[in-house]
Amino acid sequence: MKLFTDIGLLFIRKMKETLRNPIFIIISLITPILYLALFSPLLKKLSGSPAFGNGNVLDIFVPGLLVITAFLQGLFVGYVMIDEVKNGVLERLRVTPTSRFALLAGRVLRDLVNTTVIVIFFVLIALPFGFHLHFYGFLVLLVLIWLLLITTSSFGNALGVILGDEDRLSPIVQGINLPILLLSGMLLPMELAPKWLQVVAHFNPVYYVVEAGRLLTAGHIWEPKVGYAFLFMVPLTILVLAWATRAFNREIS
Amino acid sequence: MAQPTVLVKNLKKYFSAKGGPVKAVDGVNLEVYPGEIFGFLGPNGAGKTTTLRMLTTLIPPDSGEAIVAGFDVRKSQDEVRRHIGYVSQLGGSDRPATGTENLILQGQLYGMSAAEAKARAKELIKLLDLSEFADRIVYTFSGGQRRRLDVALGLMNRPKVLFLDEPTTGLDPQNRTNLWDQIKKLKNQGATIFMTTHYLEEADVLSDRLAIIDYGKIVAEGTPETLKKEMAFDCITLGIADHEKNAPKLIEFFKKEKFIREVTGDDGHLRLCVQDGPTAMPQILRLLDNQKIQMLTISMSRPTLDDVFLKKTGHSLRDTEANVGGQG
Repeated sequence: MKLFTDIGLLFIRKMKETLRNPIFIIISLITPILYLALFSPLLKKLSGSPAFGNGNVLDIFVPGLLVITAFLQGLFVGYVMIDEVKNGVLERLRVTPTSRFALLAGRVLRDLVNTTVIVIFFVLIALPFGFHLHFYGFLVLLVLIWLLLITTSSFGNALGVILGDEDRLSPIVQGINLPILLLSGMLLPMELAPKWLQVVAHFNPVYYVVEAGRLLTAGHIWEPKVGYAFLFMVPLTILVLAWATRAFNREIS
Repeated sequence: MAQPTVLVKNLKKYFSAKGGPVKAVDGVNLEVYPGEIFGFLGPNGAGKTTTLRMLTTLIPPDSGEAIVAGFDVRKSQDEVRRHIGYVSQLGGSDRPATGTENLILQGQLYGMSAAEAKARAKELIKLLDLSEFADRIVYTFSGGQRRRLDVALGLMNRPKVLFLDEPTTGLDPQNRTNLWDQIKKLKNQGATIFMTTHYLEEADVLSDRLAIIDYGKIVAEGTPETLKKEMAFDCITLGIADHEKNAPKLIEFFKKEKFIREVTGDDGHLRLCVQDGPTAMPQILRLLDNQKIQMLTISMSRPTLDDVFLKKTGHSLRDTEANVGGQG
């Protein structure tokens, strides 16, 4: 079917780009290592505290980092999109009979592959440091991570198309980035937060994914919190995908 | 005459802006016939690009009709897309990929098999002289090389009409002439081309027919030759001895001559505009001789499209270019 062929073709186009210039993947791989080496030692003494329990602090820290990696991998793709808008690439593709969804999906799929590689690499690095991983739980988490990545990558790409200019993109992306990160409980669990902060965090979809991630990697698959994460992420992903597809079809002046 | 490849009737597009709607395209009518290069000339902001974007399905018209390659741009977007090629002002080639990869992907997106796309890419690489650099990453291309690749991308699907939006903007004179040659070559092979430009010379050299657009409306249409002949005169410029004293007298004198359409003498020279310069020149010399006024210099200028533009719009294309910002 033409839709799948087109998605495949456009995915390969972007994938070639990544493989030709692997520096971005390498940087993405280094970031989690830096967190692991330079930040996680600070947490060691917190082991045994109420929020961390008695296990290895990495069991709390690593799942959050996996989720955030996916979040960031998607959020910043708008910059590359803008480059393509400015060079007429998107316009050229839009005058071919390619479906608008394929124009988006090819890109998102590449980000999905990149992120999956980074996440697995990171887990493999963390294991020798004492991180415990429940295999099936991790697979479920991977699905959540994919949903999150599809959401942020679609969102980032659509923003790029709509704004068409780095100077307009930066404040929005940065403005979203920090509050979502801080309110996700990624660095320190939200249990440590005062009540009001915890309430605010409940409006942050990423928070649910982080919470679910910690349960899932520990092997608690049938938990309500895991259900909530899916309950939030599935509709959100569909909504953002639909909105982003429309953005690829809108008038660009 | 054959069926037009592009048929546009009363096409309109208004954009909302502070202080009321901007009539970007305000009732444009035009026809482009198979095998011709149709030039769409106008200053920046005149509505050229907006018209082009409607014809290439990038934006929907507010009203009016546009049939491109036999299909309605509003109702059959996909069919129109299948049968046209489009080269945007911005270019369009993907810079992290090689030229050949760009071409093959473009072909595949039109539904060609990999083998078909490869064969077609090879043809175009030859046609547009890309072979030296086609397998390099586009980042390393010069501006002229990249533009030729952009044109090749627009031709991958053997379009019934190729839309070129300001094809030589940003190119140096040498590359501009080179691209003109390539465009002429395409025409000789039977291509139908719709080209916008704000360069007078480009419109003059390349177009078989052209339309001049200003403030969203077409103000003139025809072949460059007829337009210049109908709208503007040949002008003969005379330098005479003691201009200040002699000019007023001579102006009065020449005004009485029927074959002279316009006489001015502002800038130290007499300017006499006539329908047919070459035959008028000897007559003028004879008349001047009878007046016993010494002539110092004489020159004749043929009308340019800018004269046509000036006549039709009241302003010069060259002036507007400097004053109007933004895209057309």
